[in-house]
Amino acid sequence: MRSDTFLSLDNQPDRLVVNVKGHWIFDEVMNLETATASVLPEAGQAVTFQCAGLEDIDIAGAWVLYDRTEQLSALGIKSELTGFKAAHFKFLQNIIDAAAIRDYQEPVENPERPRRFHKTVENLGSHTAAVVEDLGAIARSILDGVRKPSLIIVGETIKQVYATGVQAIPVVVVITFLIGIVTAHQASGQLEKFGATVLVVDLVSISITRELGVLLAAIMVAGRSGSAFAAALGVMKLNEEVDAMRVLGLNPNQMLVIPRILGLMIALPILTIFADVAGIAGGALIAVGSMGISGLHFFERVAYSTDLTDFYVGLSKAPVFALLIAAVGTLRGMQVKSSAEELGLKTTMAVVQSIFMIIVADALFATLFTRMGI
Amino acid sequence: METIISVKNLVNRFGSQLVHDRLCLDVGRDEILGVVGGSGSGKSVLMRSILGLQRPTSGSITVLGQKIEYHKPGPSRCWGVLFQAGALLSGLTVQQNVELPIALYSDMPVETRHELASLKLLMTGLSLSVADKYPSELSGGMRKRVSLARALALEPKILFLDEPTAGLDPIAATEFDELITYLHDNLDLTIMMITHDVDSLFSICDRIAVLVDGGVVVGTIDEVLDSDHPWIRSYFGVPRALRARQAIGGLTRE
Repeated sequence: MRSDTFLSLDNQPDRLVVNVKGHWIFDEVMNLETATASVLPEAGQAVTFQCAGLEDIDIAGAWVLYDRTEQLSALGIKSELTGFKAAHFKFLQNIIDAAAIRDYQEPVENPERPRRFHKTVENLGSHTAAVVEDLGAIARSILDGVRKPSLIIVGETIKQVYATGVQAIPVVVVITFLIGIVTAHQASGQLEKFGATVLVVDLVSISITRELGVLLAAIMVAGRSGSAFAAALGVMKLNEEVDAMRVLGLNPNQMLVIPRILGLMIALPILTIFADVAGIAGGALIAVGSMGISGLHFFERVAYSTDLTDFYVGLSKAPVFALLIAAVGTLRGMQVKSSAEELGLKTTMAVVQSIFMIIVADALFATLFTRMGI
Repeated sequence: METIISVKNLVNRFGSQLVHDRLCLDVGRDEILGVVGGSGSGKSVLMRSILGLQRPTSGSITVLGQKIEYHKPGPSRCWGVLFQAGALLSGLTVQQNVELPIALYSDMPVETRHELASLKLLMTGLSLSVADKYPSELSGGMRKRVSLARALALEPKILFLDEPTAGLDPIAATEFDELITYLHDNLDLTIMMITHDVDSLFSICDRIAVLVDGGVVVGTIDEVLDSDHPWIRSYFGVPRALRARQAIGGLTRE
């Protein structure tokens, strides 16, 4: 006869008697599993679980007991449970009841051949169709909103200009200023070899006004506001605010999407001007401070090398970038349907895709302007 | 009667608004306590204080002999909570939601964990076909059942229910009441339940705590009904409460 904390085995001629005792509770499940495993090899034809010594049991403990009796009967060994107190037996009864429901529910699966390829193609198709339909519906309601303009959006647009533009000025100014410094340093190292230090000024002012100013401002705004758009609209969708607007007869795309697009299209060009000035100021700091070019000379050189066309080339891209950022951000926000997880995913997509599209658009612009000879 | 939850001199103040004014409440073992009160009477604040989710202005709370402190680990092994909207983790499937607490607190083998989670789902009246779905794919009633299964996952001693039948149709609400009674009888649970459903209040609660004037009036159904506090009289005097009371009274007479 063996025994431990949870059970003791008693080999009788016709059967194995297992005296169950102690606390059969959730915290001990691991130990219970090991303890009851020792019953299996010693079981003869029949096993009796004598449960009178049981002090405490819960669902987890009862399940271990039940599971062992099921295993025994699967091996063709008869098993019985006896001596339960009523207060303990009800836990076992729970499991027997639940198991009965489960056995009854089992045959629902349809044994069909898995057609994974078909399924994938079907999913891809329906997914694409859904996205196209969504896009169409949103584009259409935006058009409706433009056709029937409402004065409410004016205030909202101004709020967006403030949130996405005015509040972004400090960070955009600082980073373009720093990039101006970086560009000037890099250029001076190379151009000194040719004795053409003064061309650093040309390089900084042209690259900042044509490319870097607007690009950095746009990327910064994509990170700041693109994510904010997606997250704000996504939470509104989850809170059913968007549905509430619809039943009130308001057009959510008009109320939410258009002000954001308009606001950003106003804000980003302004930010670009700030970025251009700050970038050239960064270049000036290095040129005057460490390259011996006088301040007056620097500005003469800027005026000589860079004309307004360069400035306009940079500025003309800003509204396009703004449109891309706002459209992607709001669209992704509107696509949130059910869960917080999805909200995070769509916000990430909004930022990544808007930055990607900004750079693609910038490449197209560069090609276009070069072809046009501007 | 052994006291499981003990609230002593609880004060909760938000700005100038005094929600609880030296509130004292004891919940005994194996009872179902229903908590009612008007909007802003601090039902949720009381429950959140007990769960350590809210820092009370003053007062002490003990649950199973352990003192509750704000945002400190409480006896979370011993209680299960059903939040009003379910509060299931939206990134996990139903099965994973129920398995999560078991995985956190036990090193049992994966199959056992899996079986226990399925068992809890079956006990709360769900079919296992929902196990691989995400919470967003379920109806409100099913979400509540899953949430209840998760609350029961660790074999708790105490169950907190925040408006368990709110938003359910009368049939589902009655089923849910029956489920709670069944679990209470079979799992030796102490239940504290915020509810506005007078039917479930009368049919399943052993005692009722009414939050009024920053304090609490506690008693059995009959004791509370005999109270002459004006708010309690009007709460239980509305036609639907009277009908619910008649229904219960009729049943007990037979």
